[in-house]
Amino acid sequence: MKILVCIKQVPDMESKFKIDAAGTWYAKTDLAWRMNEYDEYAVEQAVQLKEQVKDADVTVLCIGSDQVKETMKKALAMGCDRGAHIADDNAGAKEPFQIAGIIAEYARDKNFDIVFTGLQSQDRGSAQVGILVAEMLGLPSVSTVVHFTYAEGTIEAKRELEGGVKACVKVQAPAVITCQLGLNTPRYPTLPNIMKAKKKELLSIPVQDLLKVDARQETAKMYFPEKKGGGLVLEGDVAELADKLIRILKEKTAVLA
Amino acid sequence: MEFTREIYWNVGHGAWTLVPMYLFALVAIGLLVRGFLQRIAVYKQGLPLNRTDRMGRRIRYMLQNVLLQTKVAEVPWPGLLHGLFFWGFALLFIGTTLIVIQADFTDLLFDVKFLTGSFYKLFSITLDIAGLVCIAMLGGLLVRRYFFAPEGLPTKNDDAIMHGLLLIILVTGFIIEGCRIAVTELGTPLAIWSPVGLVMAKFLSGMGEGGLLAMHKVTWWFHLSLVMTFFILIPLTKFRHIFTTSSNYLFADLGPKNKLVNIDLENEEADTFGANNIKQMTWKDIFDADACTLCKRCQDRCPAWNTDKPLSPMKVVVQLGEVAFANQDANLIDTIGRDVLWACTTCRACQEICPAKIEHIGKIIEIRRSLVLMEGEFPGDEVMTAMEATEVNGNPLGIGYAERGDWAVDLGIKTLSEDADVDVLYFVGCYASFDKRNIAVAKSFIKLCQAAGVKVGILGKEEKCCGEPMRKMGNEYLYQSVAVENIEVMKSYGVKKVVTTCPHCYNTLEKDFRDLGFEVPVESYTVFLGELIRTGKLRIDARELSCTYHDSCYLGRHNDIYEAPRGLIEAAGGKLVEMDKNRSEAFCCSAGGGRIMAEEKIGERINVKRVKMAVATGAETLLSNCPFCLTMFEDGVKGAGVEESLRPKDIAEILAERIH
Repeated sequence: MKILVCIKQVPDMESKFKIDAAGTWYAKTDLAWRMNEYDEYAVEQAVQLKEQVKDADVTVLCIGSDQVKETMKKALAMGCDRGAHIADDNAGAKEPFQIAGIIAEYARDKNFDIVFTGLQSQDRGSAQVGILVAEMLGLPSVSTVVHFTYAEGTIEAKRELEGGVKACVKVQAPAVITCQLGLNTPRYPTLPNIMKAKKKELLSIPVQDLLKVDARQETAKMYFPEKKGGGLVLEGDVAELADKLIRILKEKTAVLA
Repeated sequence: MEFTREIYWNVGHGAWTLVPMYLFALVAIGLLVRGFLQRIAVYKQGLPLNRTDRMGRRIRYMLQNVLLQTKVAEVPWPGLLHGLFFWGFALLFIGTTLIVIQADFTDLLFDVKFLTGSFYKLFSITLDIAGLVCIAMLGGLLVRRYFFAPEGLPTKNDDAIMHGLLLIILVTGFIIEGCRIAVTELGTPLAIWSPVGLVMAKFLSGMGEGGLLAMHKVTWWFHLSLVMTFFILIPLTKFRHIFTTSSNYLFADLGPKNKLVNIDLENEEADTFGANNIKQMTWKDIFDADACTLCKRCQDRCPAWNTDKPLSPMKVVVQLGEVAFANQDANLIDTIGRDVLWACTTCRACQEICPAKIEHIGKIIEIRRSLVLMEGEFPGDEVMTAMEATEVNGNPLGIGYAERGDWAVDLGIKTLSEDADVDVLYFVGCYASFDKRNIAVAKSFIKLCQAAGVKVGILGKEEKCCGEPMRKMGNEYLYQSVAVENIEVMKSYGVKKVVTTCPHCYNTLEKDFRDLGFEVPVESYTVFLGELIRTGKLRIDARELSCTYHDSCYLGRHNDIYEAPRGLIEAAGGKLVEMDKNRSEAFCCSAGGGRIMAEEKIGERINVKRVKMAVATGAETLLSNCPFCLTMFEDGVKGAGVEESLRPKDIAEILAERIH
């Protein structure tokens, strides 16, 4: 069995974000990087499936600069067998159709039985890539998966719908699965596996070899939401707090008038 | 008359006595040696560990503890009874040896007798009193164990055998003496030099000489058999502690206290890390189990045990011994249990008090290493999240690393990247960098430094967690990666001295980082500020404060810094009321050993229990020196419902409020 799992390196959401000079994406300074949360579920599910069927080979794919190899190593340490690094220093500027195009181009002649992706990325959040990959490869796709089983070529998945409702879906492999929070608990890599991961195959492929589609959308502008009102937290001594509160109520409202 | 006595009186000094006696002794000692050789083979299953370096110091330490019973006497009553028994028994052993030397060597071969005259009188009265003291102490210990057993004291067959055998040996010794005195010494001036024997003689004298002679002979052989049985039983029962506990002083960890062994992560041959099998522990870990006397002093002080968690340090040590001797293939994690292993706060209360110098913490961490590094297991998802947060942002709180220095922005201090020419580097630590309550402590410390004219710098966003909670949880890989990054940054700036306000950072930089090539001197802020006050650079206006003080485990037991913080409190005008459990007996706040990252799900809350101890002093302020303690006490005063009457504060805060 051949499994592909697609991951993305994203900034930690606790980082202090700033808009970049072009005004169309976030600046790369002072960011801590990690694996996209939903992709961790994808990696975990791929490795669990491998452990279930025994005879399987898991390829982890990631698009980005050399820096993303760190995140790929974590996926390898979690149990993926080999890495396909699509070298692209400008991956952040590519729109979902291009990213999907690159992945589909890579996967086209490799006969993967199952492709796992995260439901969406934490930074761009388009939730399009997995489904576009499926369309481009002519495969069925199941999105927002929170439960997954596989037996003899048949996938049974539960999808999370609005309002806590779940849908049960049955599909024959090959197929694309996009993974949602709740699907599993990603494992913490063991030290022997971290060591082994350092020696696993991790090939870099230039993005131009795989990018065969044109962008269909562009980001016009990126900006922080305007601050509107919002809460005000008063702190300090109780007596001073009371004075402050009265002042605010007098200045900004009519309740004391 | 000559003051002496006939050795082998009544039993005879011929072949009919000596041959069976020495044969018996030879067999007994042979069995004793065989018993220990068998045990040594079991110890040798463990990994090597060098505990025979610095032999002079080791021997001194052993003699001090064996002869003076220093560690044993740290718990007064049972310690005193054991100590007096030991000294009495040692004198009896020496006395008996002198008799053997004279009768079967010096007198037999060279006609030299030294048990005569005044020396004999001293010898006789000494042994008499020693025997009496032994009986009294043994009786006391027996009453304590069997009639007023302290809670949690395990009593087994071994204890019955030991008490019974020793008591009978001592009593039969006096019966033999009584019979002899009744026949040979009654009415002579010699008799009073054996006062106990004399009383026994008067008691027995009604039997008549025939009866006395027969009784003497039978009791003599019976006494001899019991002594030989004692030798045979040493390796087979808790009697073995005579040798193993004594040896454990010799093999003691000479420090620095509780410094963990670095795992070599460069070694590509290694395929297992930590210990999940007894053969992955060291020989000393197995030996420790044999040195344990089940005195349960560790258990009495364990904060986990005292709050209804399943961890007993004593039980862990005993279980490792059981596995080593009887069940070598057992999985240590399953045998000891996950809840037990995760419950340890590494507070060191167990090791500090252990009269056998057993090292509990290292064992637990070695097995935790196996859980984390080999299984990827943690006590809860929250701990895994904290580990991942540390990997990504260099702190277990998960806050963006770039904000690490934000607390200091308006304080007029610079990061070393802005200006590396500073007197001291303040290694802030995660809590004082990110946690609002502890940022107040960091700011107080800066204020104090500035008042004293000390130029202090920080690393800002270049600082990472020191890795202490991760390391104590068993995550050696993560610890070493953050440690190495910290060390490289500090080296690149040529840092001359580091001060910390966190005892966990202090302990890690001062001990653990040394194995990774860090050589810069490190000081706790309590010592650093104390010196600034002493030299007059920092002037504090004493103002009265009703307070009690909590010794953090890592400043106290782990680093023996007890007086410096008390000196600061005194300088601030603090009226210190000590809690019952203070200094080396202080009760942990619950957050050590990486437990700061974990939820406390089992039993009573340790921090609330400690806060209640502080409440009992009647003090208004609970002072501490550690961000973890402060965090736990802020939570604990709410848990105990005393947030109105007891304020937790750091020592730096009360000093900063009193700058001249």
